[in-house]
Amino acid sequence: MTAPNVKTDHQPCPKPPRQWKFADILADPAIRARWEKVRQYFFLRESTYDMSRRCNIRCEGCYYFEGDKQHAEENRDPAAWRRLMQAEKARGVTFVVLAGAEPALVPELCQACYEELPLGTIATNGLIRIPDTTGYRIHISVWGNDATSKRIRGASNMLGRQLENYRNDPRAVFVYTFTPTNIDEAREVTDNLASQDAQVTFNMFSAPVGYDGPLRHTPASLQKVRETTIALLADYPEHVLFSNYNAVVHTHRLGLHDLFACPYPRRNSTRNVGLGRSFRQYRTDLDWDRDAACCVPDTDCDDCRHYAAGSAIVTSKLFRHATDPETFRAWLDYVDTYLAVWVTGYAKGPNLYTSVTEPPCCAP
Amino acid sequence: MPVETKEAEIILKVAEVLIEELKLEDVTPDTFQPDIDLVDEIGIDSMDLATVALVLQDHYGIRFDEDDYPTLTTVRKIAVYIAERLDS
Repeated sequence: MTAPNVKTDHQPCPKPPRQWKFADILADPAIRARWEKVRQYFFLRESTYDMSRRCNIRCEGCYYFEGDKQHAEENRDPAAWRRLMQAEKARGVTFVVLAGAEPALVPELCQACYEELPLGTIATNGLIRIPDTTGYRIHISVWGNDATSKRIRGASNMLGRQLENYRNDPRAVFVYTFTPTNIDEAREVTDNLASQDAQVTFNMFSAPVGYDGPLRHTPASLQKVRETTIALLADYPEHVLFSNYNAVVHTHRLGLHDLFACPYPRRNSTRNVGLGRSFRQYRTDLDWDRDAACCVPDTDCDDCRHYAAGSAIVTSKLFRHATDPETFRAWLDYVDTYLAVWVTGYAKGPNLYTSVTEPPCCAP
Repeated sequence: MPVETKEAEIILKVAEVLIEELKLEDVTPDTFQPDIDLVDEIGIDSMDLATVALVLQDHYGIRFDEDDYPTLTTVRKIAVYIAERLDS
């Protein structure tokens, strides 16, 4: 298919031709219905947790093995994790993300968390199956075809093994991380996943602090990823959880922080409301550090286009996107995608906006 | 209109919007405590505040600044903010 205009060059956002009232934007029945659908999930309050400092593979550019967090002691006592989840619930957390290094190595801790706080997602490499009793959404990381995975992650037959573990598992979403070197493999991988009726979404490699290797994106690779993801979304609409607006904001020449101002505590000193108030990123020793707290710690903020970051950053910018129907449709598509990717049982609707729109009032 | 009267009317309207948009129960605009902390004591978060700000923008024909609405965490603070913009 031919992708629509997908320029990544920054262009000043033109003012909408009229000042829209929010009520007038919501007068469109499709917009109103989607708004009412997504706003039911505004109660979600996220925090993230490193479950283990061990991993069964080692991937080039892995953010977990940057910085100090990899040296924290492991707390492997399910009762301690259960108490932490109870305390988290008491301070208003409703959604947990279990990550780093490999949560599947500590299934008993994941299960303890699930029994206390049942909304959440586990980020895993998918090579060890997480028991069905842990009902979280499961994000399985894919970094290219098997040859690329072998080279970058040191694991053989990776996609086949991941599919063997999670075929027909309603918890599973495969997360394809684009690097400059695996863009051409995305169609092959997406086709493979779609043929097995698996769901896939897209992520952007976001360089850890100090990383200057070949996986860091360039303007040319951003442009190519934008074209590729929009084409894959069009060709595999039943299996690709994404929207054109996802493609735009995650491949913009500006990173997410420069586009929208990241609300995570690491970049946001506000403590009275939102993520600046409630978000914590716990290490394996159950300690946390406000100055380091974000969903992908030790990522270079200037290069952050991570899907997990965007899920919070873009979603939180409701106010900025409620300017006109077109921009608001784009935002609704993004939020609908985010919920489908992260929340078990949430069904994504058809995208409302099928053209390509630039983020509103981009930072200079 | 006296300043106090205007602020009192805005307080009632803000409370009404909060109750309607956030489906708050067991409270009416008349009984809503204008100085209660919406975040600490009612559990309202930033997305809720954004929604309320958008609805109030429509009603009063003013603009909330994106950086301002997260700081407006009581009904009275919101009402004063609106009153100041209506006067300017």
